[in-house]
Amino acid sequence: MRWPFTVHRPRRLTLRAKFLLLVLAIGTLPWMGTRYVNEMKRFLLQGQEDALMLMARAVGTVLNDREELFRPDTGVPELIGGRYDLYAHQLPNYLQLDGDEIDWGGQLDNLRYFTGSFGEECTVRYQPWSLSVRHTLGYRGQFLYALFMVDDENVLYRANDLRRLDHSDQIRLTIQNPPSQINRYLLLTRKSGRMSVYLMDEDWRYPITGDPVSEINAVMKETAYGYNVEIRLPRFMVRSSSRVGFEIIDVDNAETRVIADTITTYPRAENLQLSRVMIHSPELAKILGGLDRQVARIWIVDDQQRVRAVVGSLGGSIFGETGGGLLTRLYRPFDSFFNWLLQLPESEFVDVETTATHRSDVIIDEALRGNAQSRRRMSMDNRAEILAAATPIWSGNGVIGAVVVEQSSAEVLKLQRVALKSVAAVTLVAFLLITVALFVFATRLTLRIRKLHQATEQSITPEGRVRREYIEAFPRGGGDEISDLSRSITGMLGRLSQYTKYLEAMPDTLAHEFNNPLNVVSSSLEILARDSREAAQSKYMERAQKGIRRLRAILTSLTEAANLEEALQYEDREQFDLVELVEGCTEGYQTSFPGHTFRLVKPSQPLYISGAPDRLAQLLDKLVDNAVDFGDRSDEIFIEVSYDNAYALLSVSNRGSTLPRDMKERLFDPMVSVGTKDATQTHLGLGLFIARLIAEYHQGEITAENLHDPDGVCVRVRLPLAYRLEIAA
Amino acid sequence: MSRTIAIVEDDPDQRENYREALKSHGYDVHLYRNRPEALRAFSHRLPDLVILDIMLENEMDGGFDLCRELRAMSSDLPIIFLTARNSDIDRVSGLRLDAWDYLTKPVNLEFLVVRVNSLFRIADTLHAPDDESEKLTIGPLELNQSTMSVRWNGLPVNLTLTEFWLVEALARRPGHVKTYDALMQVTRQSYVEKNTINGYVRRIRNKFKQVDPSFNMIQTVFGIGYRWQGE
Repeated sequence: MRWPFTVHRPRRLTLRAKFLLLVLAIGTLPWMGTRYVNEMKRFLLQGQEDALMLMARAVGTVLNDREELFRPDTGVPELIGGRYDLYAHQLPNYLQLDGDEIDWGGQLDNLRYFTGSFGEECTVRYQPWSLSVRHTLGYRGQFLYALFMVDDENVLYRANDLRRLDHSDQIRLTIQNPPSQINRYLLLTRKSGRMSVYLMDEDWRYPITGDPVSEINAVMKETAYGYNVEIRLPRFMVRSSSRVGFEIIDVDNAETRVIADTITTYPRAENLQLSRVMIHSPELAKILGGLDRQVARIWIVDDQQRVRAVVGSLGGSIFGETGGGLLTRLYRPFDSFFNWLLQLPESEFVDVETTATHRSDVIIDEALRGNAQSRRRMSMDNRAEILAAATPIWSGNGVIGAVVVEQSSAEVLKLQRVALKSVAAVTLVAFLLITVALFVFATRLTLRIRKLHQATEQSITPEGRVRREYIEAFPRGGGDEISDLSRSITGMLGRLSQYTKYLEAMPDTLAHEFNNPLNVVSSSLEILARDSREAAQSKYMERAQKGIRRLRAILTSLTEAANLEEALQYEDREQFDLVELVEGCTEGYQTSFPGHTFRLVKPSQPLYISGAPDRLAQLLDKLVDNAVDFGDRSDEIFIEVSYDNAYALLSVSNRGSTLPRDMKERLFDPMVSVGTKDATQTHLGLGLFIARLIAEYHQGEITAENLHDPDGVCVRVRLPLAYRLEIAA
Repeated sequence: MSRTIAIVEDDPDQRENYREALKSHGYDVHLYRNRPEALRAFSHRLPDLVILDIMLENEMDGGFDLCRELRAMSSDLPIIFLTARNSDIDRVSGLRLDAWDYLTKPVNLEFLVVRVNSLFRIADTLHAPDDESEKLTIGPLELNQSTMSVRWNGLPVNLTLTEFWLVEALARRPGHVKTYDALMQVTRQSYVEKNTINGYVRRIRNKFKQVDPSFNMIQTVFGIGYRWQGE
């Protein structure tokens, strides 16, 4: 473990992971959106209910005190709607019964087409077959009119000689009055013009009485394709609950006089049920006509809960979302997601048919009791929610009926859906943007901190020396806290560097400061010795001189390291033989340290090294000094030069005490000493530091290790050879 | 008339000791505490020899500055640096300013007097015609002991006093190894170690190489000393 920066701890959450967790918290936004939208839905439904209630009240207010509208003898029910009902429209004027369709005017736009057997209604583009009919109904005053435009290639009139009446082209009219009275009227003629009308038996063969029916008038007129028939009948014949059916009978063969084809206006061919005739009451039609919209259905019921009028529809298709706007296009990919998220409101559901003649509902009961009320209920098939409001219709002091306004909640659901989609899409986009932004931010932050971390670690060597004084802020000139941090680290490094420089300069400064007083002492002693023979010969003089020499030695070694670092920069490199150098030096050591034996092991060939031989000799001096100082006295010191192919290896070993375990690494740092045995020897711990500086100058490295059995220390230096040994050899 | 020596040293004890030592050898010694004081005096009259400390009171390089100013006044005035600063850089700077010698403290007073004597002798003979009898020629090397000047292949090599002594010691016995101890004696300084000798030799080699790039007469005998290459 390197002091002080690389401290390994179990991995915790990185900054980025923390940010991502934070981003997840943003995930609550959609949930909040859903809450909001549901709340909105509640409000909207409430609003819709209120609106319905208002509408009901408005309608009710209009109908107040209009008892005549509810009187049973006012005539027919004003029912509108129902697919198979025959619609009678008000005509602009009384018609002339002449078989000419011209005076029907705009009513001709409402023609219904029938062709083939059993009244199959067809489209406008029908192909005339042997028989097809265009038909419309209208009313004016007390009369109901019917027009039939029959395409028939062979018009066959009533034969004079036949008693049965079913042998010619004819129109049969059936009026059914509740509960079971059925009147059958046959309209036929011997020639173009006024038609005879008879009340007929069940088989349409014989008239019940021979007298023609005078209330019903009809005229036939031949046309280019067949014939037209205009019929007029008084409205009293078709009462509120009456049902009416027409049959157009076609006989083509004059010989056999067999019915060739029949077209009916019956709603369903199979049960021959008769249609109702729908006639607008002018008053209610006027009143309610303006309310006939696709979004709400208005029922008017009388006090017997009988339906008197109904307009509009429940409405609420949710597929009406139109527009190709940007947002819509944006949402489209999310549609299925939204469909999953929001239950798609049912667009098709079954509810009370408009043909109902009777309505009973809680709110209608309440309304008839005089209380306006609204409620939500499910449609009859439970697939859609329907909002309904009912208000009473007053007349004098009593309730004469009720207005019920109903609306599907689909409209609100549609709104909710649009809102939720918008919320969800915006949230999703915002979520993505925020996530990306935060991720980028976190990554950048992490990167910056990591850069700072690396720069900080690299700025100081493992030994604690300041390598770089400037930590670059990332980005440059940034103004946030991390930039501040890098600036303060830079400041800190600057101060540390200054302090280190001060510490490093300390020995030099100290030596310099000591040299002056030392010079005073030594020169004074010299003068004293010269002036006084007695003093010159004193043993104290000798000791003082010795002390000065020791002081001097200390001061020299103090400055040596600092001077060396400086001097190495100017050193010229040359190639020299390490073996020869070590050999020469060893010889010198033998003279300098007569108490020790030096054993040299060397290769037979020269090992050339590029560098400063003086300095390398200095290195060896330091190692030998060290070995002499710390080795057992008068024991041998072992110097070995060897090589592997790219390196020369130099080692100096001595017997003696081993190095403390924790000292091995720091041994080559300045001012580190493992202690000394000799009080007269000076150990500032600079020797091995100088050795290291020199080894590093030669691109080499230096290590120390303990020897065992016998105990000792071996210092090894590994130096790159000037060239590879294969070439040297 | 006795010769005058100016000593510029901010430490009173040291400069008094120098004065006593030099006075006893008959020199007239003037002491100055700092650069302005010395400069004022020198502008009136130049001494015969100057001993300079480098750090003078609050001026870090006061001695160097003073030396530069003296050189402007006289190009052949003997100047000795006597300083506590012993780094190679300072040595080189001092000698680049044409100082005649560079000594580091603590100094042996006896050696100091020897040096001063030698420098005066050199100064005296500087302008006198060459005295052939004092010349020593070893191959292309020519040593003049009176002027203490050196020529290599006839070209002058500008050595300091200490450097001259070292070259002389080596060249007198070509082929013989001069040990570090012997060379230390030659420098006539109180405290010299192997590295100091190495430094001197390095500078000597460089100076010879300036006149002859192929100069390699001084050989290192690793761990022992140096040797002037024999014939």
